[in-house]
Amino acid sequence: MSEVIVITSGKGGVGKSTTTASLGVGLAMRGKKVALIDTDTGLRNLDILLGLERRIVYTLVDVAQKRVNYGQALVRHKKYSNLFLLPTSQVADKTAIEPEQMKQLVDTMRHEFDFILIDCPAGIEQGFQTAVIGADWAVVVTIPEVSAVRDADKIIGRLQAVNKDIKLIVNRIDPQMVKAGTMLDMTSIDDILSLPCIGQIPDDREVINASNQGIPIIEWNNTAAGRAYDDVVGRICGEDIPFKPFETEGFFARLKHVFGH
Amino acid sequence: MREEVFKLKGNQSGLQLVFDPKISFETLRNEIQKRLESGSQFFKRGTVIQLPPDMLSKENEESLRKLFHQYGVLFRVEVLEERPKRHTSTKKAKPEVPVNPPEPAAQAEKAAAQPVAEEQKMLVINRTVRSGQVIQTQGGVLICGNVNPGAEIVAGGSIDIRGTCRGIVHAGAYGDRSSFIIADCLMPVQIRIADLIAQAPDAIEKPSYAEKASVKNNQIVIEPIER
Repeated sequence: MSEVIVITSGKGGVGKSTTTASLGVGLAMRGKKVALIDTDTGLRNLDILLGLERRIVYTLVDVAQKRVNYGQALVRHKKYSNLFLLPTSQVADKTAIEPEQMKQLVDTMRHEFDFILIDCPAGIEQGFQTAVIGADWAVVVTIPEVSAVRDADKIIGRLQAVNKDIKLIVNRIDPQMVKAGTMLDMTSIDDILSLPCIGQIPDDREVINASNQGIPIIEWNNTAAGRAYDDVVGRICGEDIPFKPFETEGFFARLKHVFGH
Repeated sequence: MREEVFKLKGNQSGLQLVFDPKISFETLRNEIQKRLESGSQFFKRGTVIQLPPDMLSKENEESLRKLFHQYGVLFRVEVLEERPKRHTSTKKAKPEVPVNPPEPAAQAEKAAAQPVAEEQKMLVINRTVRSGQVIQTQGGVLICGNVNPGAEIVAGGSIDIRGTCRGIVHAGAYGDRSSFIIADCLMPVQIRIADLIAQAPDAIEKPSYAEKASVKNNQIVIEPIER
């Protein structure tokens, strides 16, 4: 049984690609055969986050326009041999791929993979439609900011209009700000979006550090964000994992650190 | 009215459901359904039907409410008084949406009780209206769900939201100032009724009671109501 999941958000910069990269690696670590498709044509960066930029020969545009088979364009991950990236072109733009071509491609690819994760571009134009059309269900990534939640709501409306099942990941939660009441908490997000949530990722400086090195944060299992992503992967695989309360760097958290080591 | 299992008695604020407490709920429900299906005069969309409390169990009340909803009829369980019940004390004045002192007449519920004109069908939306979505209709709208920020409801008649309203709502969009807006939790960025526009105050608290926005003395006023 293969699953095709689109990772989308509406707003840019909330962590779609970071999430796609980490979920892909996480699923691969659990032995699944995974393909990641970058559909952000013209502004690709999933390859960078995976550290695979230098290995790209052909792209999604070549495949969609039938110049090569998808197998020739797939880039195997350095560390996880069952993880593949189908990169897109940095030169062409979103009109280079028709939604129908994407659907055909996904339908041929799905026989070979357990999971196909599609990294969707920001926005609601053709790029969005291309990314979404072939997916079985969608992950909507948002951050606890009013504008991001608003855009997510819009995207959810679009996805529901085409009958996609949707799960939510809230990224970059700052536990201290939530505690102080200066950041949207899960209740107020749920109030508006009312979707089943499969991930609450704390804001973690290590994410940027890891990304710059071409390592998805999930590989660093000593980081808060890495562990949270690992839980998301478990939930996607059908495990029942409760949400853990965030560690704020308060007195007790530090105490725990002292005794933990 | 015909002699049947139940009767609908007109009162000041709508129609009251009257029935013999000895008959089974099954029979009552079936009879009501039959009447609804027959498209009888009393069941124009937007009609309000009341029931005194403690006549039926909570489940049965809910069952009836759902049945009526399918036909766009509003079903309320409330204490029947000579005048519609109203709250006067708890409401805080919102800075930019002035609240007038309530008038003694029974006009708060008047509009709800008036049958809607034939061509003005009531539109029933059974989902949450999300950002960027627009609901537009000539008549009234009943929304069983939330109206999220960034969503827009434009109705020729009145708007009833069984949920939280955070979007933009425009009732009486074709000039009818007697239109009103009701929501379980009314906190939109803007309320428009006919040609009037009211803007929400900067800091809006989540109200814990249903509210109604209507036009009084050329101003949009908001007041708490009983559902």
